[in-house]
Amino acid sequence: MTTKQLHKTTESQSKLKEFKALGFIIVVLFPALCVAAIGGYGLIIWLIQAMGGIVPH
Amino acid sequence: MKYFKDLWQTLNKPAKYLTLGSISLTAFIMGIIFWGGFNTALEATNTEEFCISCHSMESKPYQELQATVHWSNNSGVRATCPDCHVPHSWGRKIARKMEASSDVWGWLFQTVNTSEKFEDKRLEMASREWARFERDDSLACKNCHNYNSMKWETMSKLAQKQMKSAAERDQSCVDCHKGIAHTLPEMGTARAPQLIAEVGTGPSSFTNEQPYFSALTKPLYFSPTGDVQAGTLNVATKVTVLASEGDRVKVAIDGWRKKVGLGRVIYFDFGINMLTAQLSKEAAKTDGIINGFEEKEDTMTGLKWQRVETELWTDAEYLITEQKPLWDYARTTFRTSCSVCHTQPDEAHFDANTWPGMFQGMIAFVNMDDDTQALVQKYLQQHSSTFVKEAH
Ligand code: HEC
Ligand code: HEC
Ligand code: HEC
Ligand code: HEC
Repeated sequence: MTTKQLHKTTESQSKLKEFKALGFIIVVLFPALCVAAIGGYGLIIWLIQAMGGIVPH
Repeated sequence: MKYFKDLWQTLNKPAKYLTLGSISLTAFIMGIIFWGGFNTALEATNTEEFCISCHSMESKPYQELQATVHWSNNSGVRATCPDCHVPHSWGRKIARKMEASSDVWGWLFQTVNTSEKFEDKRLEMASREWARFERDDSLACKNCHNYNSMKWETMSKLAQKQMKSAAERDQSCVDCHKGIAHTLPEMGTARAPQLIAEVGTGPSSFTNEQPYFSALTKPLYFSPTGDVQAGTLNVATKVTVLASEGDRVKVAIDGWRKKVGLGRVIYFDFGINMLTAQLSKEAAKTDGIINGFEEKEDTMTGLKWQRVETELWTDAEYLITEQKPLWDYARTTFRTSCSVCHTQPDEAHFDANTWPGMFQGMIAFVNMDDDTQALVQKYLQQHSSTFVKEAH
């Protein structure tokens, strides 16, 4: 394998890596974070209410 | 693990191939899709169709709603399930949606999928629902109804009086308007569990010739074993135990009756409409069941009254040795249940014969089982001006 060829493979490899990472963010990470954040927010309000507090609206 | 390490390395350094344009465009589109998708999903779970896709297995809430003003009215405004059951503000809506995981749980385990199961759980579910309305002062109702826009002049006298004072305090609607959309839970059959928890079920053995007091409205029988009922003994009534046999006791009941018809209702005292016992027609017709003594005429009503005594059998349970716990319970119940609607009058404000009418007018808006109702009414009569004056 020539140096040039080697360079090409790493290049396309890390390009693939970048796209994979983006895909991961779109499909897994952000949806999960979203659900967790909203769920957590709901949980906090629910807890405040459960302890007899009043949530301003 | 290696996968995540690689991933982190890629994410942690500036993109080499993805352009800033494509990254921000992705972010922008994702934002739109996420926000839109989330709210669409939220809206989808906030439609009546969604609710009744489950709440039709027992059909009840939906069918019951259809018989109410919130289903069809002159104004043509329809209140849907989420209008009343799901808060509007975003945060609370999410919180309520999380609480609704108990709906999903219940659906998975089929907690209310038949009419019987639903009725069994109705009180429990309604209690939670009432707590929710109380928690936010019936905000859901107030999204449509506004005290300030109510036209008092055209309301009934009762509505005006009650609602005006409610408006001053911005009171929660469901304090008074329970069962506005569904049938109220059956509360009369549970036989006053709280009352019994408070006063106990009574001793297991009895001393003859001693006074005892009924803790519930109790059935009366002709004999220690037969199941033919001779009538009912009112709650908080003093009786004298004469004999015990099996799980029944023979009790002596005395009082006065009106000399009209069969005269099968026994009252506490001459001229006082305070229930002691109600005998059946058969019992009243049978010789020797009711023994009559002297008679007196009530000049107020022109009715003749007669002092009577009777001896009948009743179940040995729910006969307690003291009357005071019953009055204590009744006082607390009266104070807490009736002050919800208005400052309740003093016990001695009315006389023993006026209280029943007053009380019946009040309890229309309070959830009280039959035994507790009877007890509180008797408490009010017993502590009315009729007796308080005499005590002075
Ligand atoms: C997945 C099926 C399902 C859906 C969809 C559903 N429910 Fe329920 N719901 C249930 C079950 C099952 C119960 C009984 C839960 C239990 O056993 O405590 C219940 C209970 C309730 C209760 C009683 C509350 C309590 O705390 O016990 C209310 C009110 C209610 N649902 C309203 C709604 C409304 C409003 C909607 C629409 C936004 C809805 N439900 C959608 C299945 C469902
Ligand atoms: C979607 C809006 C809406 C919501 C939410 C709503 N209502 Fe109503 N309500 C109405 C309409 C519309 C009428 C009928 C007005 C008319 O035409 O007489 C009505 C009528 C009533 C009446 C009069 C009943 C009668 O027999 O005349 C009462 C009481 C009432 N609502 C109480 C409540 C309570 C309590 C809640 C909260 C649990 C509530 N409403 C929630 C819209 C709503
Ligand atoms: C203190 C108890 C109380 C509270 C709190 C209360 N109401 Fe009422 N309301 C009544 C009574 C009593 C009536 C008369 C009922 C009747 O005539 O059968 C009534 C009647 C009504 C009527 C029918 C009026 C008419 O005659 O046309 C409506 C509508 C109504 N209430 C809505 C509400 C709403 C909405 C709220 C909360 C914002 C509320 N009420 C809070 C006691 C109350
Ligand atoms: C006008 C407001 C209103 C509407 C509309 C309404 N509810 Fe209710 N719901 C209540 C109130 C108030 C309670 C508390 C119990 C009571 O007072 O009857 C309740 C109680 C319940 C309960 C607990 C069990 C019970 O019967 O008490 C369930 C389940 C329920 N609602 C489901 C529904 C569903 C499903 C719909 C739509 C088909 C719906 N509700 C529409 C006001 C409403």
